[in-house]
Amino acid sequence: MIEAIGLTKRYGEKTAVDGINFQVEPGRVTGFLGPNGAGKSTTMRMIVGLDRPTSGSVTLNGKKYADLKAPLHEVGVLLDAKAVHTGRSAYNHLRALAATHGISRKRVDEVIALTGLESVARKRVGGFSLGMGQRLGMASALLGDPSILILDEPVNGLDPEGVIWVRTLARHMASQGRTVFLSSHLMSEMAQTADQIIVLGRGRVIADAPVGDIIALAAGNAVRVRTPDADRFSKELIGTDVTVKVTEPDLIVVNGLPAARIGELAASSRVVLHELTPLAGSLEDAYLALTEDDVEYHASDFDDDATPAPTTATEPVQ
Amino acid sequence: MTTSSVTATTGTTLPRTSRLTFGGIMKSEFIKLFTLRSTFWCIVIVVVLSVGIGLIIATVNPPARAGVPAAGPLTVAAQQAQAVSFATAGSQISELVLAVLGALVITGEYGTGMIRSTFAAVPKRTPALIAKALVLAITALVVGLVSIFGTAAIIFPLLPGTKNIHPDWTDGHVLVSLIGAALYLVLVALISFSIGAIIRNSAGGIAAALGLVLVLPGLVGLIGRLTQLTWIENIATVLPSAVGGNLSVYTGQKTQVVSGLVSFDRLDSGLILLAWFVVLFVLAAVLLKRRDA
Repeated sequence: MIEAIGLTKRYGEKTAVDGINFQVEPGRVTGFLGPNGAGKSTTMRMIVGLDRPTSGSVTLNGKKYADLKAPLHEVGVLLDAKAVHTGRSAYNHLRALAATHGISRKRVDEVIALTGLESVARKRVGGFSLGMGQRLGMASALLGDPSILILDEPVNGLDPEGVIWVRTLARHMASQGRTVFLSSHLMSEMAQTADQIIVLGRGRVIADAPVGDIIALAAGNAVRVRTPDADRFSKELIGTDVTVKVTEPDLIVVNGLPAARIGELAASSRVVLHELTPLAGSLEDAYLALTEDDVEYHASDFDDDATPAPTTATEPVQ
Repeated sequence: MTTSSVTATTGTTLPRTSRLTFGGIMKSEFIKLFTLRSTFWCIVIVVVLSVGIGLIIATVNPPARAGVPAAGPLTVAAQQAQAVSFATAGSQISELVLAVLGALVITGEYGTGMIRSTFAAVPKRTPALIAKALVLAITALVVGLVSIFGTAAIIFPLLPGTKNIHPDWTDGHVLVSLIGAALYLVLVALISFSIGAIIRNSAGGIAAALGLVLVLPGLVGLIGRLTQLTWIENIATVLPSAVGGNLSVYTGQKTQVVSGLVSFDRLDSGLILLAWFVVLFVLAAVLLKRRDA
């Protein structure tokens, strides 16, 4: 169980994390989602005491991280793959960490095998690929067999097999009643791994809900309609609560009407339809909808019309 | 890394009896120090250069120069003083190497991000800093003693033949001077370590440490000589390398008595050097607790 109360971090004028409250419950995987610069990593660093909160507090099983008697046994943390001295071998890195808690060499060998590092364990970390570094970070996090697992972007740089491994591991750890908290900016990853999702935007929690609810948010009721009479049909459809977006000369996206009703209207107006597709909401859409106004660094908006913008409200889901 | 292995080995086999202890942190820091190549090379350089420089000085006799009267036979005390200075001649290199090692021990962790792993394992931080300093001190002491006493053991038997100097191992001042030279190396490493912990950057830490040990004495001394300002000359006297040099002076007594200029014996010098370390280390420890890693 991780609990943050009014957690705030300011760097000079800039507020990276703005008084957030959340709880990460044991026995399930909680995803921490947000665009780059939203404050995910800062929050995670505050959880494990690397950054000092400007105000507020965060506890792990009711205690501050610094007060834990055996931090590595209680919390396993992957903050970033580069938290390793490049001149040391993976094996010696893990051995040094293990020594602080009197963890046996047998356990070091175990996590090396578990993360598939056997072939490179004796090599210096400086030559590791991003994926190998990530595996070593996972090995460090698992070293103490922790009851809380905190992983910042764990699938970053992993091959598909590694991604599946992290996903399976996270689910497995949660099924054992452990607390699993992992961040990502990859929404699809979260949809497959997390039970609960906390969405962070510009340092604030903008949603904290089960993954199904987050997806439902975006489901909206957009319907894609392909018709040679796109112009005429659009004019007939538009009304209160109904918006139409022309994305191609013969393609429109209708919001506010169910597909069945659109079909009926087409029949009565004698409009030929080539396609009538209700658009399933994805976590991706939900995420974009939620964070639309909260992205710190916007890419220049090109090809804006290619994707139907969900018109869902952006108020927080509690 | 197969998915099937996950269920089998997430590690429930680990006994939960182990916990964070200071002994464990010390062991961890020993592992860290001795699993880096830089440590190995620093030690090799110190030992090789100490012995090498001692051997050159002990075996090569400068030819008599015209106009310089040949020195008469040395007193017994002067012979011991010479023997000590030959055995510790290499310390001038050793102190630089150990200053670099001392700074690297901590700045290397900041540079690579390793410090975050260290603090995740030791969240109170101060025990990690103390353990690092202790491990460094023990290592520098062993390296210092081995290189200096090793050099002495090799060159002392040669000196009667080459320079008509008869070193006396039973002379307490000889032993204390040689030990003093080793202790100076320990404190240089520790002072440099503290500066590294404050600056947190390898290039900056090494530059600042070497500046304090190598550049500042010459600079302050020069200004002092040119201005004849007593207080500036006194600053030069209390700099680490100045008081550190006193530690290995054979007599261990105050060197000069000039009105207004301070001078320190061996014990005073040792205490001043210790004060340099303590002040810098406390500052490093305070900053360590306050700053984000």
